[in-house]
Amino acid sequence: MIRSIAKFLPFIALLVLIPFLLPGGRLGSYYLTLLILSLSYAVAALGLTVLLGYSGQISLAQAAFFGIGAYTFSILAVNHHVGYWSAALAAVVVTTGFGLFLGAISLRLASHYLALVTIGFQIITELVLNNWNAVTDGADGISNIPRPSLFGYAITSDHGFYFVSVAVLVLASYVVFRLRHSRLGGALFALREDEIAASANGISLFRTKVLAFAVSAALAAMGGILYASGSLYISPNVFNFYQSVSFFAMALVGGQASIVGTTLGAGLITFLPEVLRFLHAYYIAVYGVLVVIVVLFMPEGLYGLLLRGVGAVATLISGRRRADEGEVVSLEAGAIPERPVASDRPLLEIRDLAKHFGGIKAVNGVSLTVNRGDVAVLIGPNGSGKTTVLNVLSGIYTATAGSIVYDGNAITNLGPTRINRLGISRTFQNIRLFPELTALENVAVGYYRRGTVGLAGALLSRPRGYREEREAMEKARETLRFLGFARLDVKAKNLPYGQQRIVEIARAIVSGPELLLLDEPAAGMNHEETEMLSQILYRIHALGVTMLLIEHDMSFVSSVATRAYVMDFGQKISEGSVKQVLSDPAVMKAYLGDDVEYA
Amino acid sequence: MFSEFIQLTIAGLAVGSIYALIALGFVLIYTSVNVVNFAQGDFAMIGAYFMVSLVVVLHLPWWLALLLAVAATGLVGALFQLLIFQPVRNRPRNFLPVMIATVGASVFLEQAFLLIYGPIPYQLPPIFKAESVAVLGVHVYPQYIVIIVVTAAMVALLNWFLERTKLGKQLQATAQDPDTARLMGIRVAWMAALTFAISTALGGLAGLLIAPVYTVTATMGSSIALKAFAAAIVGGFGSMKGAIVGGLGIGLIETYGATYISGSYRDAFPFIVLILFLIFRPYGLFGEKISQKV
Amino acid sequence: MIGKLLGGAGMIALLCGTGVAHAASGTIEIGMIADLTGPAALSGQHKVDGAKLAVDEINAHGGIAGKKIKLIVEDDRGQNQAGVSAYQKLAANQNIVAIIGSIRSTIVQATLPYVARYKIPTMIGGTDPKLTHVGNQWVFRFRPNDTYASATMAQYAVKTMGSKNVAVLYDTDAFGAAGNGLLKAALVKNGAKVVSDQGYTTATRDYTSFLEKVKSSGADTLATYMTNSEDEAQMLKQLRQLGLKVKIIGSTSIATSVCIQLAGPAVDNTYGVSDFVADGNDAAKAFTKRYVAKYNSQPDVFGGWVYDAMNVLSQVIAKDGTAPAAIQKGIRAVKGYNGVEGTYNFDTNGDGLHGYWVVKIQHRKVIPIKYVG
Repeated sequence: MIRSIAKFLPFIALLVLIPFLLPGGRLGSYYLTLLILSLSYAVAALGLTVLLGYSGQISLAQAAFFGIGAYTFSILAVNHHVGYWSAALAAVVVTTGFGLFLGAISLRLASHYLALVTIGFQIITELVLNNWNAVTDGADGISNIPRPSLFGYAITSDHGFYFVSVAVLVLASYVVFRLRHSRLGGALFALREDEIAASANGISLFRTKVLAFAVSAALAAMGGILYASGSLYISPNVFNFYQSVSFFAMALVGGQASIVGTTLGAGLITFLPEVLRFLHAYYIAVYGVLVVIVVLFMPEGLYGLLLRGVGAVATLISGRRRADEGEVVSLEAGAIPERPVASDRPLLEIRDLAKHFGGIKAVNGVSLTVNRGDVAVLIGPNGSGKTTVLNVLSGIYTATAGSIVYDGNAITNLGPTRINRLGISRTFQNIRLFPELTALENVAVGYYRRGTVGLAGALLSRPRGYREEREAMEKARETLRFLGFARLDVKAKNLPYGQQRIVEIARAIVSGPELLLLDEPAAGMNHEETEMLSQILYRIHALGVTMLLIEHDMSFVSSVATRAYVMDFGQKISEGSVKQVLSDPAVMKAYLGDDVEYA
Repeated sequence: MFSEFIQLTIAGLAVGSIYALIALGFVLIYTSVNVVNFAQGDFAMIGAYFMVSLVVVLHLPWWLALLLAVAATGLVGALFQLLIFQPVRNRPRNFLPVMIATVGASVFLEQAFLLIYGPIPYQLPPIFKAESVAVLGVHVYPQYIVIIVVTAAMVALLNWFLERTKLGKQLQATAQDPDTARLMGIRVAWMAALTFAISTALGGLAGLLIAPVYTVTATMGSSIALKAFAAAIVGGFGSMKGAIVGGLGIGLIETYGATYISGSYRDAFPFIVLILFLIFRPYGLFGEKISQKV
Repeated sequence: MIGKLLGGAGMIALLCGTGVAHAASGTIEIGMIADLTGPAALSGQHKVDGAKLAVDEINAHGGIAGKKIKLIVEDDRGQNQAGVSAYQKLAANQNIVAIIGSIRSTIVQATLPYVARYKIPTMIGGTDPKLTHVGNQWVFRFRPNDTYASATMAQYAVKTMGSKNVAVLYDTDAFGAAGNGLLKAALVKNGAKVVSDQGYTTATRDYTSFLEKVKSSGADTLATYMTNSEDEAQMLKQLRQLGLKVKIIGSTSIATSVCIQLAGPAVDNTYGVSDFVADGNDAAKAFTKRYVAKYNSQPDVFGGWVYDAMNVLSQVIAKDGTAPAAIQKGIRAVKGYNGVEGTYNFDTNGDGLHGYWVVKIQHRKVIPIKYVG
């Protein structure tokens, strides 16, 4: 943690030194004005680092928030003679309010819808700033915008204001950095990577999206205030759609999920037209082509490319490969742990559950009870409705009819987030890890529901934030070790299938659930892997976790399950011990012809 | 009063037809390859400029020029697909990079055409004589009627193509399930190129239809495209019927709103309607609720 | 079209040539910011053409006291911030003695703090009255400001055209919105009634809604305060199609070559006010002849005011030298200079022109009616 903050120090030192490296006179002043401009853009673009880079939400309205911030500040400071810092604070608060609004209406929108809503918000904002003469002074704009005083010392020079801007950028970077390295950061990434898996891990999509929009808007407002104060004059045409596209380009070109990358991107996009002045009219065309090339061929932006280049050179020099090797998966040998005996106290009771999709009755009146300490298995031919039961149970689908009682409380049709928070966690049939996160980060997200730190805590209460993050990482490491998995820092998408399953199970158990739902954990595994999986399930069972799993591999089922339920055509046709149900004529009939399953 | 309403309705339907044609392009591309082409409006501009070159410079008869201009725009669209979409077609979550790349491409196209044709707007003579016809106090501009009629014909033609021809059915099959389509021997990459060609040709048609009314400039397409996109969403993204109804609706709302509410906020109306729709009816008029596959 | 293409390329090549800022001995360097790209690139081109014409003429006559003028142009892309950068870039060149600024009031506003800081004589074309009324002694306006335009329009409409009920249509940008306010006040002062005032967004293409409202307002006259000639032409064409029977008087954009070229017969029989009229005076006639000969297109206000600015500047430098303070004093002392835009008499605010032409457009020609000073 300390080391990762330390890596920013050279950049901060560079920013502080730049003014002393500039030529003097008017040429220096020309560069300084552009630098101040870049800093104000960088602060706003950091908002997109959070919104786009971390949480994966598209916004083409950053210039609108930038403008609302600049305008609120200028109206208060110039037209109503409010003090500098009070006006600035009010501007951030007002803009954040708009961010909350946009975040709230974006909840149910997939990316293309969201992009358009933000464009609409952008266009409406520009029109209002331009036409609401009584408040905004209309198209004429506002001039004579003040610069701040600090400790009674008025900062009017460009040099002075440059250092104020650097300070604001450092503050903004700190906010983003703290957010990134708190449990909320994990939640944002989870949202970006897979919304369903995020909510199944106790992350509220609504709150997380609204948080991302609010933080992004607040940062845009901070940038807008710097812009207004830096250029001393604002008019509505500055805050247009093309400026929003430009902010977007800054984040993408620099490196959307990187603080340093975004800052460099802001500088680049601001200075590029100046450097390319010799191209005159061709500049804009060149700019367009550059955006296309970077976006299509450098997904991590120029900074990502740079880091990769540096990494490659370092590897070449040191002659060592990077750390995605090491011990793969091995369970420590030892006695098979003592497994708890199933009690007769029910943990989960499903009554007459039905789920219909249009005319298709995927589940049609299923009742079953899982007792504490059970390893219950749900079997049945393909399409018999097993996965649907699990999806209704974990809150991803709403039930058409019936009730679910967990630990004495009705949980029918609660959302996946609420259900996870009650202590039920799950894995998915087709594995829903967060592909761009490492194995360790994936598992740490699973610990989200155990955390308590909110935005204020993440930003203000450092010890608590650190402690919680350290705890989550420690638990994640411990859990992976418990399952015999050591490739902690490999991105999930680069892991082989069987190992992804292990990581997903680790994510599901890291928070210490009472009930674990596993959807075909052994699917696609070879014999040794399946063997190891049953060892893993023994260990988890030994911790006292009750399980309900779906599985096809009958030898695996026989070795782990304490109780079995058989489904066919959306209904339960049999239940009992594995041995009992397998000899049930109704089950034989259901499987007739399905010889692969009944080998 | 009533004649004013009729007048506005004709103007609203004409501009709405243009939105509808471009919205159809959005929907075709979206349903086929799941990305959004933000440069869609620029193909209207390209179509209009091609028409200018063919009619004003080469003096071709308008019907021949129209066919050539639409075909040429479609060709540019296919090439565009090759450069913007093909490189990342297999990348997971390619929606975002493609969207931004099309924004970048849009910037490039507008500037390139500005450099080629210069900043002075071009005038395209209307297909029929320019004088308007007064009917019961309503002045009907013939080009508006041309726009509405050609749009209707085009929608019918497109529908026939998709539902009744082999190629159209292959196109639909590819959109629904590219993997199965590939197994059935359909050349999926060709289908993507064809989809872009058809969509951009529709855009080009929209551009050259509106050109006599709007004049031809490098930026003529970008504001039309944003409203057309709003129209596609209000109609229900992915629904062709929605694109048409949405386009006409947005055209009318914009025109009525500018007259009866406020001209200064004219450009805001389509987006206010859009935001209201997304809050209260997020799947649009004809869209189906999309549930993610688990 | 090919000609246009080549012409454009030629202009760019030429700009690249002049863009190299080396202090060749025996030259006097003058900076200019212009919209070379962006939404107003067309007017930017006219601006560069007008300035180049003046520079070429002055140099052909031996320059200023044997020194040639060198014009250095930077693009403002039609944006405030790019305008500030362009201005600062020019100011950073120590050889530049004066700068021709923007015709857009918002860009002028954005650059004003830097004008005050660097103390470089700056010539502007923005017509928002307050630009020269904020105590900045380094700004000189080479166009009459909007108070004159609106007063002239209102007076002529009411007194001569006999307008009683006037509908106003204006661009909601800085130019149009400010003009709308001034114009409405002036109309009321002259005894007319404003029955409708509507703002549209720049580059609106369909004016049906606005025109239908003009119709239902019962106006006998439509007064327009539109920024872009393209928009004015578009509106006029649709007005004719809708068969609207009103008298029309417009701000400068109605009497430009672009408007006439685009609107065709639709612009006939309208009135307008203009600070530049091609055959308004002898200087304008001579300018128009040479402009047409050189560029094969009609000049308008965008080329006119910079042509005057360049000539006034060279006259002042010839007399007082190149020191900024001397130029500043020199321009302020200019009285009775007959430029293509009229007679310049600089006042203490830095405003050089104090009146407008009333013109009528007939048979696609701008016919001067009278100069209201």
